[in-house]
Amino acid sequence: MEKKIGLYICKGCGIGEAINTEKIANIAKNALRVPVVVEHDFLCSNEGIELIKKDINEQGVNSIVIAGCSPRVKTYEFTFPGCFVERVPVRELAVWTIESPEEQQLAAEDYIKMGVIKAQKGEIPEPYVIEINRTILVVGGGISGMTAAVEAAKAGYDVVLVEKEAELGGFARKLYKKVPTDDYTKGVLADVNLEPLINEVTSNPKIKVYTSSKIEKIDGQPGDFDVTIAKNGSTETIKIGAIIQATGWKSYDAKKLAKKYGYGKFKDVVTNFEFEEIAKRNNGLIKRPSDSREVKSVLFVQCAGQRDPEHLPYCSGMCCTTSLKQARYVTDNNPEASAMIIYKDMRTPGKLEYYYKEAQNTPGVMLAKGEVVGIREEWDKLYVTVKDSILGEEVEIETEMVVLATGMVPTTKEPQDYLNGLAAAAAKGDEEKAKYLETTKKPEFILNLGYRQGPELPFLEGGFGFVDSNFICFQYETRRTGIYAVGPVRQPMNMTDAQEDARGAALKAIQCLEHVANGIAVHPRAWDTSFPEPNLTKCTACKRCTEECPFGAIDEDEKGTPFYKPNRCRRCGTCMGACPERIVSFKDYNVDMLGTMMKNVSVPEEEDRPRIIVLCCENDAFPATETAALNKLKLDPAVRFIQLRCLGSMNLVWIADALSKGVDGMLLLGCKFGEDYQCHFAKGSELAKYRLGKVQETLDRLQLESDRVQMYEVAIDEYWRIPQIINEFMDKIREIGPNPFKGF
Amino acid sequence: MHHNGSPRILVIGGGFSGLTAGIEAAETGAEVIIVEKNPYLGGRVAQLNKYFPKICPPLCGLEINFRRVKVNPKIKFYTMSQVESISGTPGDYTVKIKINPRYVNENCTACNVCAEACPAERVSDFNFGLNKTKAIYLPFEQAFPLRYVLDRTACPNDCPAPCVQACKYNAIDLNMQAETIEVKVDSIIVATGWKPYDATKIDNLGFGKVKNVITNMMMERLASKNGPTGGQILRPSDGKPVEKVAFVQCAGSRDENHLPFCSYICCMASLKHTLYLKEQNPDAEVFIFYIDIRTPGRYEKFFNKVLEQGGVNLIKGKVAAIEQAPDSDDVIVTAEDMLSGAKIHQKVDMVVLATGMQPEGMEFKVPGLKYAIDGFVVDAEGIYSAGCAKNAMDVAGCGKDATGAALKAIQIGLRR
Amino acid sequence: MAEILKPDLQFANEVIKAGGESLKKCYQCSTCTVVCSLSPDDKPFPRKEMLYAQWGLKEKLFKNPDIWLCHHCGDCTAYCPRGAKPGEVLGAVRKLMIKNYSPPKFLANWVADPKYVLLIFIIPLLFFLGEMALLGYFSGTEIPRGENGEMSYVAFLPAVPWIDVPFMALAGFAVICFYLGVKKYWLDLTEGTELKRKDIYNCIYETIKDVLLHKKFQLCTLNKGRVTAHLLVLYAFIGLAITTGIAAFYEWVLRWESPYPQTNIVKIIGNISGIALLIGMFLIIANRTKNALKQGLGSYFDWLLITVILGVGVTGFLAELLREAEVETLGYASYIAHLVFVFVLFAYAPHSKMAHMVYRATAMVFAKAAMREETVKKEEVA
Repeated sequence: MEKKIGLYICKGCGIGEAINTEKIANIAKNALRVPVVVEHDFLCSNEGIELIKKDINEQGVNSIVIAGCSPRVKTYEFTFPGCFVERVPVRELAVWTIESPEEQQLAAEDYIKMGVIKAQKGEIPEPYVIEINRTILVVGGGISGMTAAVEAAKAGYDVVLVEKEAELGGFARKLYKKVPTDDYTKGVLADVNLEPLINEVTSNPKIKVYTSSKIEKIDGQPGDFDVTIAKNGSTETIKIGAIIQATGWKSYDAKKLAKKYGYGKFKDVVTNFEFEEIAKRNNGLIKRPSDSREVKSVLFVQCAGQRDPEHLPYCSGMCCTTSLKQARYVTDNNPEASAMIIYKDMRTPGKLEYYYKEAQNTPGVMLAKGEVVGIREEWDKLYVTVKDSILGEEVEIETEMVVLATGMVPTTKEPQDYLNGLAAAAAKGDEEKAKYLETTKKPEFILNLGYRQGPELPFLEGGFGFVDSNFICFQYETRRTGIYAVGPVRQPMNMTDAQEDARGAALKAIQCLEHVANGIAVHPRAWDTSFPEPNLTKCTACKRCTEECPFGAIDEDEKGTPFYKPNRCRRCGTCMGACPERIVSFKDYNVDMLGTMMKNVSVPEEEDRPRIIVLCCENDAFPATETAALNKLKLDPAVRFIQLRCLGSMNLVWIADALSKGVDGMLLLGCKFGEDYQCHFAKGSELAKYRLGKVQETLDRLQLESDRVQMYEVAIDEYWRIPQIINEFMDKIREIGPNPFKGF
Repeated sequence: MHHNGSPRILVIGGGFSGLTAGIEAAETGAEVIIVEKNPYLGGRVAQLNKYFPKICPPLCGLEINFRRVKVNPKIKFYTMSQVESISGTPGDYTVKIKINPRYVNENCTACNVCAEACPAERVSDFNFGLNKTKAIYLPFEQAFPLRYVLDRTACPNDCPAPCVQACKYNAIDLNMQAETIEVKVDSIIVATGWKPYDATKIDNLGFGKVKNVITNMMMERLASKNGPTGGQILRPSDGKPVEKVAFVQCAGSRDENHLPFCSYICCMASLKHTLYLKEQNPDAEVFIFYIDIRTPGRYEKFFNKVLEQGGVNLIKGKVAAIEQAPDSDDVIVTAEDMLSGAKIHQKVDMVVLATGMQPEGMEFKVPGLKYAIDGFVVDAEGIYSAGCAKNAMDVAGCGKDATGAALKAIQIGLRR
Repeated sequence: MAEILKPDLQFANEVIKAGGESLKKCYQCSTCTVVCSLSPDDKPFPRKEMLYAQWGLKEKLFKNPDIWLCHHCGDCTAYCPRGAKPGEVLGAVRKLMIKNYSPPKFLANWVADPKYVLLIFIIPLLFFLGEMALLGYFSGTEIPRGENGEMSYVAFLPAVPWIDVPFMALAGFAVICFYLGVKKYWLDLTEGTELKRKDIYNCIYETIKDVLLHKKFQLCTLNKGRVTAHLLVLYAFIGLAITTGIAAFYEWVLRWESPYPQTNIVKIIGNISGIALLIGMFLIIANRTKNALKQGLGSYFDWLLITVILGVGVTGFLAELLREAEVETLGYASYIAHLVFVFVLFAYAPHSKMAHMVYRATAMVFAKAAMREETVKKEEVA
């Protein structure tokens, strides 16, 4: 379809007074060959909108550039279905932030020019749509997994549930009683009562259950996964649309607590999990292991090997309620028995406080804050030494049995440790790697993804092995599109939370299916129909894109030729930024488009009029800039802002081109990276920083100072820092002096 | 969608939970209507300076969610609105929504000319009364929708005349009337959230009587760049920067005379506030008086990170008396340090009460919904609570819960 | 070597039964210790006592004066976030403490346990009925009247031997019980602790002053009313003691037999004290009922004493009025009732709540000697 551009310049909100729009209109008509150019006093008025619609209908305008205010204000007014629309916030970037009239004019010209170029080079994307399968695979048949399966089925989706044990139920099977999952004020010990849920799973025609089975391999992409399931020797490969990992947790290895609490040394020191088994075996009677005598006193040690740098540094969140529950096993079956709980902090957040009160409210349950520092045995009694206790500086408590409240370790921990070790070894060289492979026992993998970036969900830095989201706001964010972790494999959590969590994960899986079905990206660009289109004929198989993609969307063959899997892609453009051959492009976003925009930014001849291009993240740094404008903060007139989907899409060629055109400096504004990264694409800003490390050689080739290019981390609420950062950078640039390429 | 007819869902509350529930549901193809009583979306978290444990800005996540709302034709939202009545059954509810007048129409370009002309002022509820705004105001810079609001109670009759004249685009419409609309939905998500417990009710903690006793939410505003002090943590009475600060945990929470449940967030909040203080003054000394420090799961790491700061004193023992220092605006808090077994009378520059979450349902009940005595919503088939309308929880918890609620809600619709 | 703790569930249960039903609700926030105006800064109460009680650490409770330094103002109970009512719990602990120290055990049990309530009243009743029988009043003997033929209780039951002797014996018995109890308590208190102050007599003197002025009681914030009430009762008792003294003097020294004319000093003091007693008791009851919600109504132990004292007062006046009105049968009956109440009051003093005056006083003396109260100052600031 023939592209016809219409440029509409609004003169409202003081734009008209500050800027000679007529001049710009002429530039557009003559220099930029824009067929339709209109100036208007109040473009967002009905009359203004109608005028544009008229042009669309009568003159066939299909690419529209609106030069006026930011879409943060007039969000919905300028939507024209079927048209490519580009908004140029002249009001914010030229009028409100720049003082001198002359500079305002120049800025307005530049921004509108860039807007037009974008319209000229940009196409409306055609979504990538393939025939998809809508079945959801749930790995793990515990409470989380079963709940996810049932809930997804209730929403009308087919589910395949794979459980490695012979029976469904997971950890809950081992429980004698459970903490009530709804009302904490009605009784302390609730029946586990798994059967209804199990029956719901097994009897639901939409759910296919594989027990005693494992995932042997997962290939493909969301909507089109090939999952190979191994069941007693034989394997079966099925089509799957999205995946939920609910593989749960293991209890912390109490043998590591032998030194501190004499576990293993004293028969009557057991873990909370063993205690659960004891209660279940004797149907509530607490008989201690050493002489299987029924005990009258049990002492619970909270945070055993938890909140402890030498063991689990985190809190498992469920042990306080568990011990309160187990204390009632002791007292409810024997009114003469007492259960003592020594805690660091009693952690029963939210309504669980009611449970605390309820469970504590029986004479036999005795609680005190304190630190258990040692346990000794004397005759048939145990003596537990407690320090910093509210019972006294140091006391020894006599008891017949001790229960260690040990914590949760996610099933993902082992494979992760192994893979990290492998990566570390590989980094040291091939023989190191070979050595590692033969010396280290390979743990059982869970998902066995056929992804170039590894067989499991990427671990979260500092996440202790949990495959959790790093985002507070987006709990189900994962770096493997269409694969969602749920339950205690994601975060320590109790049964109630796990069930709620399972619903959430099920919804995300469903959502992913509906999006890929329509060729739309999933979070965070949940509206985007564009996708990376590599021109592989020019590919040099340098592997940068396959290595750098934060979402492992690109596989490769042994020759290193990349295979793009669009449904795994989040459209951040990191591949586009990574590619030295500039062969990756999106229909509405590509190297050429932005490169041309930058090359067309005016570069004043005068020595004392530097020109700076600011590449900033459209999600955070740019909103911050617009907020600075709204607050009428003034910026140095030298700057020209260009929005990127993510700083990860920043291609070094832009820097080279711009600087060789005489631009005095390039400023990169991206999100915080590192462990607490804020980049919505996880690695984007970090990769930009990493590439910047390599810009040196480019600049050396041009004989330019590397200080001309700098990157800052800016958060969306730091609008007040924008002027500061720019001034700081300008000082440096003025210090360095003008770019020698000026005027060439 | 592969099934016929998309589910129709009403979400009551446009805060973090409501937005999440609404957007997540809409992105599976459901038709969503969000009803928000404030003039902006974002709710309580919009007033926060940073989130724990990452110390990252709430607006970062809100911005993405706002974008998801903007581009999604399946999401409709009404600000300054409330639900008047709910009738019907799961799969077929009829809901009346009252939309209160904003007095500023869609012509508004957020150019601020009106505010410059505005003669009247109002106490800023957004900043918990710590400062004032013009009677016509923008809730906050990154508010969505980015449109001014006129507070007629602060500027009645023809008081707004100057701003009406000042606006070139006739955006100010004093004749705007409240209107009631009726919608039909399959299911309802209740995400009405919470408000800070009224600290004046805790008579032994001196809020409102003793100078320089503030609440944790006021602390958020003080620390925010767009807050009343431009982000400087200054004590209210004399604007003095603070050196010593006491945090009073469980101020109203875990207390049957006030809120019987634990408000979940207060421990992390006070630890976060410690970082605010430390950032502005590394020598600041902090006293956290607690019953139990509750930093579940990976929050433990955050807890340790804060302790590493130094100058952070944790005292096991609840503060039960707060008095003005005899000779100054300083404050004296009294508690028993249980581990040393002695009462301490700590003199500080400012006291922050870690006041808990009062579920909106405690005082304001949406007609047609069931509530428990503690003010939390009681779910029913077709009506699902999400976030702090259901239980005290952190933002992450709300995210999970709201996404789960979205699934329950679409299930009802798909069943038709 | 760390001290060894053996939690005692049984004792915890005793506390609960003795009126500490709310004990288990405590979650150790220590609001109570801070709102308590009587609690010192160093090792304040009642938080730690709540913990000791929950764990059944009897020794730690009994051997520490704090359970007596508590005057049961109820501020703690009112502010307790969990409804654990520390005030009530300490009351229960005090009851058990009295039981533990005052010999003989069986009496202690009788007084402590509601199921013996009849027994403790029947004993004195039978005693006096016995006296009447001996005097042959049940076998037709006419009840003699005073010289001028007026109705007279002395004629009815001649003071010597029928009244004075048994009551003196009774008093003696009570004093011995108290002596033994206090001695044991004092030894336990001072065990292993070296007293900071050596001038024990000053301590005693100061304590008496505190008691007479109700210094501690004054500090209660929430429950001001009780000060006046309790003060009234206290002085009423002193007044009545004096009355008895003078009466004894008339009788033994001046050999002047009662009844005495209403104008006589002894009558005046007696009547005023009597009225003070009744008003005081009325206020106490009114107060307890008023604050029942916030602080609890009190235990059987409390109400037994309240009833007895009230009984003494009411029957005393009743007897007097009926005598003046020459209403014979009823008059004698109420006189007997009066004697029964007085008997109960004296005989069981060491085991009833009456004992609080002695043990609390002892604890106060110890507290002064150990300079425990030095730190009850709100001004001082860390």
